[in-house]
Amino acid sequence: MRLSDKSRVKNAAAALGLIAVIVAAFTYLKVNPRDILLAVPRFAGFFVRNFLPPDFSSLASYIPLIAETIFFALAGTCVSSLLALVFGFLISERTNSIAPLRHTARVVASVFRNIPVMVWAALLVYIFGIGSLVGLCALVLGTLGLLARSYAESADGIPAGKAEALRACGASYPQILFHGLLPEFIPSWVNWTLFSLEINIRASVILGMVGAGGIGIMVQTNLRLFKYAEAMSLIIVLTAMILLTELAVNQIRRRLK
Amino acid sequence: METILSVRALRKSYGAFEALRGVSLDFHSGEFVVVVGPSGAGKSTLIRCINRMIDPSSGGIEFDGVRLERARGAELRKRRAKIGMIFQHYNLIGRTNVIKNVLHGRLGHMPFIKSLFGLYSMADRLRAVALLEEIGLLEQKYKRADELSGGQMQRVGICRALMQEPRLLLADEPIASLDPRSAETVMNHLKRMTEQRGICCIVNLHQVDFARRYASRIIGVKSGAVVFDGKPEEFTADMARAIYEGGEADPLRGAAGDSVSDGTDYIEAAATPGGEYAAV
Repeated sequence: MRLSDKSRVKNAAAALGLIAVIVAAFTYLKVNPRDILLAVPRFAGFFVRNFLPPDFSSLASYIPLIAETIFFALAGTCVSSLLALVFGFLISERTNSIAPLRHTARVVASVFRNIPVMVWAALLVYIFGIGSLVGLCALVLGTLGLLARSYAESADGIPAGKAEALRACGASYPQILFHGLLPEFIPSWVNWTLFSLEINIRASVILGMVGAGGIGIMVQTNLRLFKYAEAMSLIIVLTAMILLTELAVNQIRRRLK
Repeated sequence: METILSVRALRKSYGAFEALRGVSLDFHSGEFVVVVGPSGAGKSTLIRCINRMIDPSSGGIEFDGVRLERARGAELRKRRAKIGMIFQHYNLIGRTNVIKNVLHGRLGHMPFIKSLFGLYSMADRLRAVALLEEIGLLEQKYKRADELSGGQMQRVGICRALMQEPRLLLADEPIASLDPRSAETVMNHLKRMTEQRGICCIVNLHQVDFARRYASRIIGVKSGAVVFDGKPEEFTADMARAIYEGGEADPLRGAAGDSVSDGTDYIEAAATPGGEYAAV
């Protein structure tokens, strides 16, 4: 494809602008890319000497915390998916015909969506103190916005005719919702909920680092006590856990029609 | 013949565009009325105003002795439950099986809690099965609706509508998305089943040949007004040409643009805030 001269000039200008911004960033941060490259062998050496081989000897004592982390993610996903379902149906045109309510719900969901889980966790720990419930709340609030928005978009994707057909039968609003829209909505509900489970498993691992419960706190503690080999064993277990979740979720997705 | 539906001076406008310009018609039980006309003529709007899927701008609709244009909420739902409707795109719930789709026709006749748990009466279940048998889909009754062919889906649509035990059946372009053979099967079933039950059936079609073959009465609509109303044998080729030609040149249609066509206007109406479930 041949580009016109005008768009060629535009592209060149955009590329130059981008390069300028990147150079400015490195300069401002006083980071020399050469230093980064030279640090790699030093870093690798430190890592190999201190972190390897991983020390699995006290892993058994961490099992309750690991379980807690997984249950956090599961419970958090469960609660947020139910709350988000209500929210999503408030946002979608298919399910909510009251425009002001729809717009308000959309704005609230957007605000929630743009506050990361860690910010929620830090905020809640500050307000309520260290504890498990705080972690759960953070997970729920952190994924609520994303889920509500995704659910609403899926609901909007259901053809208007489905609801219309039941309305023409004399069905009431709750009947249209349960018999017409929910069955059509289930695949995307499951899909988005699994997606948020993946996010929540990852998030619940780090939540502990700010004192919001779960295994994260032990990774942090081991690193601070220079017990690198022990921390490494935890990191390996957690990575395996996240990978397994991903694998399981993908399997479920494939089977879902 | 008993008059079961009277439409009086029915008007519907979308902004400056008048989709219906004062339509007055009487419909009788046992009639098989085919409404013909080019797309954008107002056929769909007419049919959807009758069961208030679209609210008319003015005019009267008297069905079964009740003024439908004044009905609201539960009253409107009760009346709608007596009017069956079938659609160009069938509008079945795809992930639900065939028999449940047919039973949806009873939703207007039962309270929410009962329907939530699928507590349809034994009589309803038997009737659903009988309808499916009559239309030749008994073997498919536990299949998911989205696994059926278009013609089969429309037959399920007919069963759902008849499940309502309606006195009036509205069909909006029921065969526009079907191949000629399925179209014929669907029209045959529709004609036979409504005739046997003495139901008044109003069908929008754009195929004049089908209209002539099936209708007991043809209504020609052009630019939102009735231009022909009579027996199929009176509907001459000249008449058909007059209805269909010049449609594009009509200044009214040009002014309205293509967005307010027969196929899409109801979707727009549904998307209007307050339009969708305003009655609930």
